[in-house]
Amino acid sequence: MILGEPGPPRAAMRPITLTCPACKAAQESSTFNHGELTPCANCGVPLQIEVFPALFRRVAPGRDGELVMEGESTCFYHPAKKAVRPCEGCGRFVCALCDCELHGQHFCPTCLEVGQKKGKIKSLENRRMLYDSIALVLAGGGLLIWPFSCVTAPCALYLAVRYWNAPQGLIRRTKIRYILAIILATGEIIGWLVGLYLIFNNHKSNG
Amino acid sequence: MGFAAYAGFASLWLGKDHMLCIESTGYTEEYKRFYYRDIQAIIIRRTNYRLIWSLIVAVPLLVFVFCAMGSSSSGEIGLAVFLGIIAGMLGIILFLNLIYGPTVRCYLKSAVQTEELPSLNRLRRVRKAMVRLRPLIAAAQGQLAPGEITSQTQSEVASTAGSPIINP
Repeated sequence: MILGEPGPPRAAMRPITLTCPACKAAQESSTFNHGELTPCANCGVPLQIEVFPALFRRVAPGRDGELVMEGESTCFYHPAKKAVRPCEGCGRFVCALCDCELHGQHFCPTCLEVGQKKGKIKSLENRRMLYDSIALVLAGGGLLIWPFSCVTAPCALYLAVRYWNAPQGLIRRTKIRYILAIILATGEIIGWLVGLYLIFNNHKSNG
Repeated sequence: MGFAAYAGFASLWLGKDHMLCIESTGYTEEYKRFYYRDIQAIIIRRTNYRLIWSLIVAVPLLVFVFCAMGSSSSGEIGLAVFLGIIAGMLGIILFLNLIYGPTVRCYLKSAVQTEELPSLNRLRRVRKAMVRLRPLIAAAQGQLAPGEITSQTQSEVASTAGSPIINP
């Protein structure tokens, strides 16, 4: 075992390295913020690296919660740790380790996960279904492959009506896709009904 | 704040305190947010995709051109026109691929991840996006003074060298 002078743990003082995405070789700081593509010293791939002050910012050490003393409230998830605040989602007391801060609000890990899965916390939402696009593709596909329109047209109409008020993409979209899907699907359904009526009538008059 | 870049099914949008990367399949969208205060570095790596796509398009283009010329000389005008139209379309694709400029891959690095930004796949597009991005990042983090990179890197190396090595 080699002991040196007391100092900070090595993990918190890791040297700053940026690597080439192609060969993973560490890049010299002289190539940072160069403004132009310069070849990687190892593999020669042209690279441009632009760094910002956050690269040199020390990451604050994580909080692990204090042990509870007599008379103090305990964390719901860690009975041995002192509660620091209640969760703003469920009201449970949480310790410093469980306290998840998000845009000034404090949640417990469970509420954070539920909020993300159910879409209640908008800033954590990372996926959405585009029902308007699906409805339009179903309606448009029925035009191209008309035998399937007997199935796709009602499906498109159902989706357009059912999800008319559902959130669309995060970037604002108009309802034009829903409108087109409804128009196309309605036209296809009417076409099928008229076609069936004519076939029935023709059969009746021949019969 | 607005739209920054679009490539195929990926787009990049700049907000007040973060940028939003959207990847769409046509039926679903996936979102990734990168807060300006957390962006440590942006790494741009040039790729050969422009050359590869040019070859992929140019070879059938030449084939269709020669076939169209052959059909024309043998009197099959209709076939020559049809082949010429396809050759023309391939020519437009080739032309657009060339004028869009060199292809790159752009990576964004934070303290916990290095993510590719798929919408920034052309050097020209990256440069335009960076012009808009730099002031936003500077507003969130401040700016690096000249020479600060070297001094910060040297101080990191010096302080790391003094750390104890403890073997379990």
